[in-house]
Amino acid sequence: MTLPETVHPSLWRADQLAQSATRCMDTGFAALSAQLPGGGWPVGTLIDLLVQQHGIGELRLLQPALAALDRRPIVLLQPPHEPQALALAALGIEPSQLLWVRSGAKASDALWAAEQILRSGCCGALLLWQQHARGETLRRLHLAAQSGETLFCMLRPLAAAQEASPAPLRLSLKPAAGGIDIGFVKRRGPQRDTPLFLPLTPTLLQRHAPLDRSTPATAPARGISPALVGG
Amino acid sequence: MVLEQERVIALSDMAYGAGVRLGLRRGGAIMLAPQSQFLQRAPELEKEAMQAAAMALLQFTPQLAEAEEATLLLDVGASLRLFGGIRALCRKVADSVRALGFTGWLSCAPTARGAWLLARSNGGRALKMDSLERKLETLPAGLLPPARPYLSWLEGIGCMTLGDLYRLPRPGLQRRCGRPLLDMLDDAHGTRPELHEWLAAPASFHAKLELFDRVERADALLFGAHRLLLQLTGWLSAHQLAVERIHLLLEHERGRTAGPPTVIEVVLAEPTWKDTHLVRLLKERLAKQTLDAPVIGLRLEAPQVQPMAPLSDSLFPEPGGSKEDWQRLLELLAARLGADNVLQAVPRADYRPGQANHWVSIQTKIRPAEARAQLPPDIGSLPRPTWLLAKPIPLLMRDHRPYYGSPLRIRTTGERIEAGWWSEMQTRDYFMAQGEDHAHYWLFKERGEKEPRWFLQGLFG
Repeated sequence: MTLPETVHPSLWRADQLAQSATRCMDTGFAALSAQLPGGGWPVGTLIDLLVQQHGIGELRLLQPALAALDRRPIVLLQPPHEPQALALAALGIEPSQLLWVRSGAKASDALWAAEQILRSGCCGALLLWQQHARGETLRRLHLAAQSGETLFCMLRPLAAAQEASPAPLRLSLKPAAGGIDIGFVKRRGPQRDTPLFLPLTPTLLQRHAPLDRSTPATAPARGISPALVGG
Repeated sequence: MVLEQERVIALSDMAYGAGVRLGLRRGGAIMLAPQSQFLQRAPELEKEAMQAAAMALLQFTPQLAEAEEATLLLDVGASLRLFGGIRALCRKVADSVRALGFTGWLSCAPTARGAWLLARSNGGRALKMDSLERKLETLPAGLLPPARPYLSWLEGIGCMTLGDLYRLPRPGLQRRCGRPLLDMLDDAHGTRPELHEWLAAPASFHAKLELFDRVERADALLFGAHRLLLQLTGWLSAHQLAVERIHLLLEHERGRTAGPPTVIEVVLAEPTWKDTHLVRLLKERLAKQTLDAPVIGLRLEAPQVQPMAPLSDSLFPEPGGSKEDWQRLLELLAARLGADNVLQAVPRADYRPGQANHWVSIQTKIRPAEARAQLPPDIGSLPRPTWLLAKPIPLLMRDHRPYYGSPLRIRTTGERIEAGWWSEMQTRDYFMAQGEDHAHYWLFKERGEKEPRWFLQGLFG
């Protein structure tokens, strides 16, 4: 019997991950890449990231992919707060790469801008923050994303996980001790109910953390050879 | 319905349906179609329309001549490769004429007079000399203007078509009808070299359009603006120029409520000579524009032009699209959302986080070297949050801990920032804290007061 995945590349069995039809970017986290079809973030598709609240590490999660964009522009469309260029520079994103687009008076302006950016195809990544999105606008954005090779993430509140979405990859992000829990709401592959824990602390916290640090083993007197001490 | 000397010379489909025919007198036409509009033929308006069409068609070839009876002759021999063949070129020419709001007949032939004859009789295309001759054979003799006075005589001798006319003995025909008729026949058959006076585009561009009605909504003006832009593209390609700035003037009603025309100015970062990008920009600008008074006319000016830059001839296209595409995208976003909503990051060398994080409109030119000089050298060691709150939130204190949803635990040693004596003094100690929901927050403690006050200023995204 021929295996389904050898018949056509877009076929897969329920217990295995699909092959990705589009190019994928490495996520930078081996544990996460192993769980995604194609082994990374798919470019040119709509990726739905459902965050419990803003500021839980969503940009640190995307940071390896954004830093690997080779200085192509990154558009922050309608972010919840003012982005801080210095912090993004510390994450490896040049300030000259960044474009912050605030939406105009109308709510549809952000969606219009997203579509224009995706169709132009000159941006490396587009991050769109949106509170409510209807099914047809999502489909429209997904279609627009397919016309180029832009990494397109849409960040929405966790409540949107209940709604249907045409995005082939939907992840839920929740903060956890020392990192985030990634739930796989939808992916082309087997259903996974247990969230994946990724250690993601702000890098400076690790360096300066005065607490929770294991004290070095105390060396008893004359326990170290004189050659090492240098005396 | 258009009248000339009290007779109908042009009419709409609706009037035709009511029974009005060409050549009918005014009284009869009013009786048949009382609700229709009657206009007098205006030769100067026709001339302007011809000028507009000629200007727009200059984008296809620089060799364009005006011929008798509202015809334009285009020599497209040199343009065929550029526009992808005769069919594609014909389609583009027909599209531009339609976009200008005119109806016309398009024909092509190896000789200019042949093309003229085909266009006058709506005869279609003839690409080879023998197919043109076959077509000319059947056309009525009355198409040629010099033959018209002798039409009854020609009919009398049974000479109804151009083919019959061409076969008549030449000396006799010249004696009876004059040299011009023979010359035209020879031109059409390509046996005599044709000379044309090519149209020269004016040195500066001004185009105007009078609207048929008073327009009260700005986005309804796009059609008229597109007509003017088409003329602009023709003029630009005739002069090998690219435009950097255009003004669209919306003229309001004259009279008691007369006001100065509203000016819509479009400035481009990259000079362009194509109308598609300009139409998109104007569409967004017009959608935002609110009109104080109805508009009766449009004018387009191109005050700033520069020589057309040739296209980049790199063999492999860049993966992220070209620089011009990026500039075009930024202009389009700025046109709809407003220039102050499309921002680029220009960090400033300042210790105060709020002042250091500075964003300016994308239209401000920043030199990359200057921007880089403002960055701190040890950028990776500064604890800065990804999101900065527009205004710091004062935090409650519970059990001597700052409280934001849950008690916050301070996780780092403080960073003391004390600067800004010249404008806005800030003396603060910044800490990174973690709530019980495991999210990280950036707090500061206002120093210099007896009671320490805590504020939330950032989130670590």
